[in-house]
Amino acid sequence: MDAFPGDLPAPRLAPETDAADMLARKLGGFVDLDAADRAVLERVCGRARRYAGQTDLLRQGEVPDAVIAVLRGFVCRGRHRPNGACQILAYLLPGDICGPDFSDLRPMDHVVTTLSACLVARIPREVFLAMIDRHPNIARALRIARSVDEAVAREWLVSVGRRSARERLAHLFCELSVRLGAVGLAGADGYELPLTQVALSDTVALTSVHVNRTLREMRRDGLIELKGRRLLILDAERLRAEAEFDAAYLRQAGPPAHRNEGG
Amino acid sequence: MPRFFIDTDDGDRLDRDEEGYDLSDSAAARIEAIGALPDLARSQIPDGDRRIFTVRVRDADGTPVYEATLTLEGRWLEPARVAET
Repeated sequence: MDAFPGDLPAPRLAPETDAADMLARKLGGFVDLDAADRAVLERVCGRARRYAGQTDLLRQGEVPDAVIAVLRGFVCRGRHRPNGACQILAYLLPGDICGPDFSDLRPMDHVVTTLSACLVARIPREVFLAMIDRHPNIARALRIARSVDEAVAREWLVSVGRRSARERLAHLFCELSVRLGAVGLAGADGYELPLTQVALSDTVALTSVHVNRTLREMRRDGLIELKGRRLLILDAERLRAEAEFDAAYLRQAGPPAHRNEGG
Repeated sequence: MPRFFIDTDDGDRLDRDEEGYDLSDSAAARIEAIGALPDLARSQIPDGDRRIFTVRVRDADGTPVYEATLTLEGRWLEPARVAET
């Protein structure tokens, strides 16, 4: 069950961020975790693997037997249509968990795919169930995380249904700033955004041509700049105003507890 | 794959594409360009009764190879309004 296509050699943790504590960073933003909670969260992610971008971690129709925890990189939930169109439904960022309801297991109705090179841990069902059974703080944090995921999905639905191209992108960039900031991966000036043009288009349900036009417009207006794989936020206040962004749905109290020096 | 540049004009502003797209051929570039027109239009409509949206494809040398336009033409049919305009 470890043999996923796209498996790469053993993980090599970059010095700037120790990815092992990503779950604790994320869940610790929702509830107070004690030392035992943090230790078990690191332990269950001990066998993380690296995956190349565009690797399916869970296929449509598959019945998952493990929880997927993202430690580095961007993963998404997506749906592919027979005509080739794809809609990205959610991003799973470092610290995020993609877990089935083991009490009501169903085949996947969507795919879970890496959008960039990733470090991902698979937590076997019995290990996961034992953990939430013995660690009520973690169980509570996971319930909050799930309800935040639902709130994010509602915002994304508003975006694709009722926001302009510029508002969609502005809202997404604000959201990512808070979510990545919560685990120490964003600074006030921006963050790594390892997405292809196509992935960004499939997220906001617009053509690449229009996304690129809009990104250039936002850069010209001094809001953001996408430089290679890094998003620079040039005017956070105006970006939030344009997106009508209110971070309350992300339930991250206060400033990020872990911040990279210099972002 | 050859590189194509797709410029867009929503009637207010021409956006010149300097980055480009790797596409299989000019037919694929045409489809990308035409597909962008509804997105362009949606960003500007409704705003006035007349607007022309344009997409233009240039090849790797910068030579224009394809152009498409989408036109909005609205007009009042109520006699009182017609007299006004």
